[in-house]
Amino acid sequence: MVVTLLLLVPAVVGLWLVTGGRALEPARARVIAAATAAVTLVLAVVVAVVRPDVDLSWLPELGLRWSFGVDGIAVPLVLLTAVIGVLVTAHAWVDVPEGGTPATFLGCLLLVEAGALATFTARDAVLFFVAFEVVLVPMWLLISRYGDRHDEQARTDAGHRFILYTAVGSTLMLLGILTLVTSAGTSDLRALATGAGAALPADRQLLVAVLLVAGLSVKVPVFPVHTWLPPAHTTAPTAGSVLLAAVLLKMGTYGLVRLPVATVPDGFARLAPVLGVAGVIGIVWGALVCLVERDLKRLIAYSSVAHMGFVALALAAGSETGLQAALFANIAHGVISAMLFFLVGGLKQRWGSVDLAVARPALRETSPRLGFLLVLGLAASLGLPGLAGFWGEFFSVYAAWWPAPDRPRGLFVACAVVAAVGAALAAGYALRVAGTVWVGDRPAAEAAAATPDTSGVELGVLGALAALVVVLGVLPGPLLSVTADAAALLARGGS
Amino acid sequence: MISADLVTVDPVALAPALLPALAAILVLVGDAVLPGRRGWQPLLGVAVLLVGAGTALATGLRPVTEPMRTLCLPAPDAACLWTAGPGTGTLQAGILVATAAALALLHDDGGGPRDTTVTTALLLAAATGGAGVAASRDIGTWLVTLELATVPVVALVALRGTRAAAHGALTLLVTSVTSFALLVLGAALWLTATGDVTFAADTVAATWADPERRTVLVLAATVLLSGLGFKLSLVPFHAWTPQAYSTADLGTAAALAAASKISAVAALLVVAQALAGAAVDSGSVSVVIGTLAAASMLLGNVMALRQTDSTRLLAWSTVSQAGWVVLPVAALSADGLRASAAYVLVYALATLVAFAAVAVVGAGALERTRGLLRRDRLTGGALAFALLVLAGLPPGIIGLVAKVVALRPAVDAELWPLALVAVVAVVLGIAVYLRWFALLLGVPDPDAVTDQPRAHRGASAVLWLGTGILVLFSVLPGLLLRLLS
Repeated sequence: MVVTLLLLVPAVVGLWLVTGGRALEPARARVIAAATAAVTLVLAVVVAVVRPDVDLSWLPELGLRWSFGVDGIAVPLVLLTAVIGVLVTAHAWVDVPEGGTPATFLGCLLLVEAGALATFTARDAVLFFVAFEVVLVPMWLLISRYGDRHDEQARTDAGHRFILYTAVGSTLMLLGILTLVTSAGTSDLRALATGAGAALPADRQLLVAVLLVAGLSVKVPVFPVHTWLPPAHTTAPTAGSVLLAAVLLKMGTYGLVRLPVATVPDGFARLAPVLGVAGVIGIVWGALVCLVERDLKRLIAYSSVAHMGFVALALAAGSETGLQAALFANIAHGVISAMLFFLVGGLKQRWGSVDLAVARPALRETSPRLGFLLVLGLAASLGLPGLAGFWGEFFSVYAAWWPAPDRPRGLFVACAVVAAVGAALAAGYALRVAGTVWVGDRPAAEAAAATPDTSGVELGVLGALAALVVVLGVLPGPLLSVTADAAALLARGGS
Repeated sequence: MISADLVTVDPVALAPALLPALAAILVLVGDAVLPGRRGWQPLLGVAVLLVGAGTALATGLRPVTEPMRTLCLPAPDAACLWTAGPGTGTLQAGILVATAAALALLHDDGGGPRDTTVTTALLLAAATGGAGVAASRDIGTWLVTLELATVPVVALVALRGTRAAAHGALTLLVTSVTSFALLVLGAALWLTATGDVTFAADTVAATWADPERRTVLVLAATVLLSGLGFKLSLVPFHAWTPQAYSTADLGTAAALAAASKISAVAALLVVAQALAGAAVDSGSVSVVIGTLAAASMLLGNVMALRQTDSTRLLAWSTVSQAGWVVLPVAALSADGLRASAAYVLVYALATLVAFAAVAVVGAGALERTRGLLRRDRLTGGALAFALLVLAGLPPGIIGLVAKVVALRPAVDAELWPLALVAVVAVVLGIAVYLRWFALLLGVPDPDAVTDQPRAHRGASAVLWLGTGILVLFSVLPGLLLRLLS
């Protein structure tokens, strides 16, 4: 019951804001949206602690049940989504983009949140697909209606690219799910994970794994199907970018863990080297682009590609450490990228653009709080020990160095080496951004007033994320222990 | 139950076909008795069609698993001319409701054609044919009722009286004649191969055992499919569709797009269930159906992407959706046939809502709907929802479920090339419908010419009822599937 409420509260209020209540004035709409997000967060905490589930008949002819629940893998993601939901709705006090009514904007945010929560709690493979599709239209609206006002053509293109790429991915995934479900005779993810999927013949497992991995790779995104992400991020409004990076991309990695890794371990093992290599290419490619990219928002988007490369590599390694690393890196990237996109969105709002080639006053002089948070975010992003980004990447490289016994060791060791080089490149681009934005290259006195420092709600949002970044970095233990049991279970099923 | 010497007749079972036929006669007689007073005719037609749909649904919902038979010959195991199996009642209800919607759109306040009697009678006749073909099992009834279901619409196109409409009607007539010729040829080949005047699974199975007769049967199925391809607007038999849609008035186009399509699918399912029930390895028939489906999905969507006129876009959308309707039939399994029926009903409902919205806004350039969501929220919202259902995107969950249901038999039968084409078609389809959806969201052009506000009671009723049913199905998709099993 609580799980159903967790999904229905944001969905119903979101739908109402988009349809009936869309003419609401901004002040009331944002109170309603923020209150809904807060209620959702409370429900998420209850769900995370009590771990209730719901299992009702919904579509008996398809064998599809209204079956939702959480386990160790889903709990951190549900909490992350709910927290991000509160932050993006709170951000409406800082900035509501033009392009439509504010209520519709906030409703879309809540609908994306509802879709993501449904994806993370679905216990049925077909239901997972349906939930996966729920986020498409609201996210498309966020990008193509509320995106960057400067270039309408770019906005339309980015929106179309987002929805068409991800639709290819999710339909391929649907084929994989249907193949899996008809071969195994059940669509219950728990039954599939505990043997119904692993019992399939090797060729069928490989086929299912190919379809699922190909489909989900688009959402993650894994090189070379990442090309929709940078334009989407560049164009989307701040809150949309944050949701995209912190929540939507996680649906892809969560799907990889939940579907191919858990249900067809042998098929996934045969595919793992390809995924690992693609992940590593993504790490290096993303980092290299970041070294030369001029648009700061696009740069953060490419750094997302690199970070998701680490997650893909860790998943491909197949060991228990690898799974733990992937799940941790997933959450860490969610928090860090949310923080960076809030920061960059704030800078864009202040400056009008975030072109790094434009000389601007040093942030440390004009707005020290903003500058400090930016440096913190960049440091976390490059994987500085003591911050959230470190553990995920460190364990990913470690997992690739010692992959599961059925993986080709030599290849994965090579991948680990290249990934480590990629991590070093990340330090390069992080320092480049810090050098340009934080240190600056002009005397501060000229335009000190141009960059007002952060305060109020914006500071609260950024501060909350900064605190999470530090807590996850200093105390990774609690999060690792939440995922440990489920990861161990999966890894044992796989070997 | 009335027992005649030769055949048994069960008027309750026959009601879905009898009621519209009686209503058509009543309309014609009434016009002779009360010349000049015609306002009651469409209302009577709609009422009778809805009652007929109710009786059809009632037979579909019976708890009995045995098919409902009537018009049976007296011998103990003789064939019955009317066999309503599971799902037949629901398809019939769909045909009758879709015809009622077309009737309402055609005779909307003040915008109706001059000759109400003829149009009403023609649509009622088409509904009779559709209800008949869904329950037919023998070749003769099947051929006659199928033609009855589709040919009256040719007259409707012609009745509009414009030069373009005459051209459209001529194209449609030539198409219909070709289609009929193919169907007759196919029926003859079927009879030659199986030696049976009914579409029955056991004779198909017996025929399949003999390699020579099997060849003839495959040829018969192919020719029948080609004939039905015209009626379903499957590529390469689709060419008439855009012209007929854009020259006919909206009500007629809606009849072509919805009622006529459900009737054609019902006819296809009669043939397909004989093939599917025989449980033979009918790979060659699958290939034929799959090729038609793939070509329709791809070409329909690609052409729809380029349209700037709302009815033409809906015409090409019909072509691509027809591919989706036929896709699960390629699996030739019971699940596949049910999926096809489910898909065509969802498609017809969403298309009717789209036509009703276009009727309210005024047919013509897509640009006329720019900013509709801001100008007229309710009409815009209904149209937007229908487009999302057609694209298969939540919140149009029933559209998504229909696509999942349609893909599943294909995956089950391991028709991989077809499944991959479907992936491409999903994406192209999203591009098609989102293009229109984006227009609805746009900022209305202040200089745009908008029609004088006019009452659209018929179109509004279709719009609201259709949207209501779509929303209901989206919340409880199991409802539709239960009606078909």
